[in-house]
Amino acid sequence: MRAAAKGQSLKTFLNGVWRDHPIFSMILGICSALAVSNKVENAIAMGAGVTFVLLATGLLIALLRRLIPTRVRMITYMIIIATFVIVVDRVLKALFPDISQAIGPYVGLIITNCIIMGRAEAFYIQNSIGQSLIDALANGFGYTYTLVSVAVVRELLGFGTILGFQVMPEGFTKWVVMAMAPGAFFVLAIFIWIGRSLAGMEEE
Amino acid sequence: MKDKILMIVFVLVLGSILTAALLAVNYVTTPVIEKNEEIATKSSILAALNIPFNSQNVEAVFADNVMQREQNGTTYYLTKEDTVAFPYSGSGLWGPIEGIIAIQPDFQRLEGITISRQEETPGLGSRITEAAYLAQFQDKRFTEGLKLVQPGRADRDNEIDSITGATMTTDAFIKILNENIRQAVPAIAEGEGR
Repeated sequence: MRAAAKGQSLKTFLNGVWRDHPIFSMILGICSALAVSNKVENAIAMGAGVTFVLLATGLLIALLRRLIPTRVRMITYMIIIATFVIVVDRVLKALFPDISQAIGPYVGLIITNCIIMGRAEAFYIQNSIGQSLIDALANGFGYTYTLVSVAVVRELLGFGTILGFQVMPEGFTKWVVMAMAPGAFFVLAIFIWIGRSLAGMEEE
Repeated sequence: MKDKILMIVFVLVLGSILTAALLAVNYVTTPVIEKNEEIATKSSILAALNIPFNSQNVEAVFADNVMQREQNGTTYYLTKEDTVAFPYSGSGLWGPIEGIIAIQPDFQRLEGITISRQEETPGLGSRITEAAYLAQFQDKRFTEGLKLVQPGRADRDNEIDSITGATMTTDAFIKILNENIRQAVPAIAEGEGR
């Protein structure tokens, strides 16, 4: 029984970080992934914010899953997610004003991040608290590492830095397009391609 | 019917609990956030006036050096050395640009400029916030208006280099500065009896 539960936990985790990866596999949360991946620092802050909201939402929805009336479950997800996003926004503003200013409006947009709605409907409403927390952690981690990888490429080529430290030599010509929206589309598309090829996913 | 009532009760109860939680978070964080904003404003004013400070002593340095005054609805900040700082704001290319302008005691030259808020294109327009760009405003004469020239061509004492690839932002920025100087400086001169 314990071994089975452990196996299930591992499967849930691997699904989140690889097979059902929110960005590669389900193409969810793309809006914020494009917008906030211009600098590694912003990507980490956004990843941490989304992971926190996933965990808190997963906990609460799994806890209430037998109480939530089916017909109002979407409204329930929305108010729960919105509450935690506002908490993240206020805490960032109070404790990390610099990061809060850098990612600005995108914190509020976590509310509409489909990863959270998607996981709530697909997983938390049907699974135990433990499994839901593992799933939240896995999806948050999957989202974060993709954002950070994209941000490493974009910050390196667009600004010549990583986490604000100069990496490229002095005379390096910055690829301005990388700092802007089109750069995000190019890099993210390449990442999705690589991710899908490695995972052996085929278009139907 | 019973289901519907239960449904409404559930949404109301959950909504009320979460709203209460938010009120608590708001109550705890509001003073901290206001304090952060106040410190950010004070840092911005000190930086524009070229008064050295660090994150620990912002408030003490500000209290020692700067007096807040008001004339005809224009708030400004006077130092012991008679340099004056005042806030500016206006529309950049994508969103509002706000910050502090500091002028020298002769009311003719700039002491410094800081930017506390902008939403320009990262890596292009946002480069107006770089220290190297803002440094060129020091000692520039603003009485006949600042003038934007091609990058590297700034020669006269009222000319400012634009940034390659950020012409629209730098153009908007100079317009904002000129407009704010034109409105605020006469009021401040009046307040100081000059």
